[in-house]
Amino acid sequence: MGVLTANSPAPSEASLRVDLAVMTEHMQGTDTVPVADETEAQRRERFERDALQYVDQLYSAAMRMARNPSDAEDLVQEAYTKAYSAFHQYKPGTNLKAWLYRILTNTYINLYRKRQREPLRTGTDTIEDWQMAKSAEHTPSGLRSAEVEALDHLPDSDVKNALQSIAEEFRLAVYFVDVEGFPYKDAADILGVPIGTVMSRLHRGRKQLRELLADYAQERGINTASKTKGAPKPGAEKK
Amino acid sequence: MGDCQSLGDCDDNRIVRLYEYLDGALSLKDLSDVKEHLEHCAECTEEYDLECIIRSVVRRSCQEIAPDTLKSKIISRISEIQVEIGHA
Repeated sequence: MGVLTANSPAPSEASLRVDLAVMTEHMQGTDTVPVADETEAQRRERFERDALQYVDQLYSAAMRMARNPSDAEDLVQEAYTKAYSAFHQYKPGTNLKAWLYRILTNTYINLYRKRQREPLRTGTDTIEDWQMAKSAEHTPSGLRSAEVEALDHLPDSDVKNALQSIAEEFRLAVYFVDVEGFPYKDAADILGVPIGTVMSRLHRGRKQLRELLADYAQERGINTASKTKGAPKPGAEKK
Repeated sequence: MGDCQSLGDCDDNRIVRLYEYLDGALSLKDLSDVKEHLEHCAECTEEYDLECIIRSVVRRSCQEIAPDTLKSKIISRISEIQVEIGHA
């Protein structure tokens, strides 16, 4: 996935925030026609200009939800269709990306999760649980420097596998806050849960993810430590 | 071993504060406290660096490029809707 990374370098926390600010400004600046007076064609043009730029990002999120490219594509297409139908309800100047993610998440819940017959909740994400988890655990990183090095160079496939194997509600909280850089409040809106629930899910999700990544890194660290530094031998690759 | 009192008196509080720091969820006052603390506490800095690595690794790995056809599919679906709305 080196090509992807080269084309779109991971934005830093700071630049993500700046992006949101720029986006809002941009939208306020270019909305010369009041939304209420817009013709259909103008509305469609505005939608294509402002909303379609997030296709890759929505697709990335959909891949964390639907688990395969074809379902992810359907999901994004469905979400955009709904977004367009509801675009008159979107308030210009507010966070369009968050609005689109909320529609994507709702679409996913309604369309896909029903099919998978997965339980809606694990029943473990109350704030009390979170507080208990907080006080019960001690989380020293426990990683040796070789493993931190391996962690930094983990193949995308390992990281995706790790993410996929944590519970969905934890995974999505981690995705929206850590990957997309949304504040807790926006993540809460997107996921349709209270902020406390987002924080609880984040806490658990990050902990689980960290443990899984540490396992992968440990394997990689050991694999590469005995050999010269470089790619692990064939067969050591995780599926 | 740094003195971690200013970030909370146990490991877990310290980590929660670091997470909130990275999440941009702290007040300005707390933010500068954490920032200042990080300057002279090796232990917290190590934890902070590790969390930064994890986030950047996860962010890097999650970037996908949608198939070329997706955008055009969306646009054609929108045109269909536009017709429907037009008659509504």
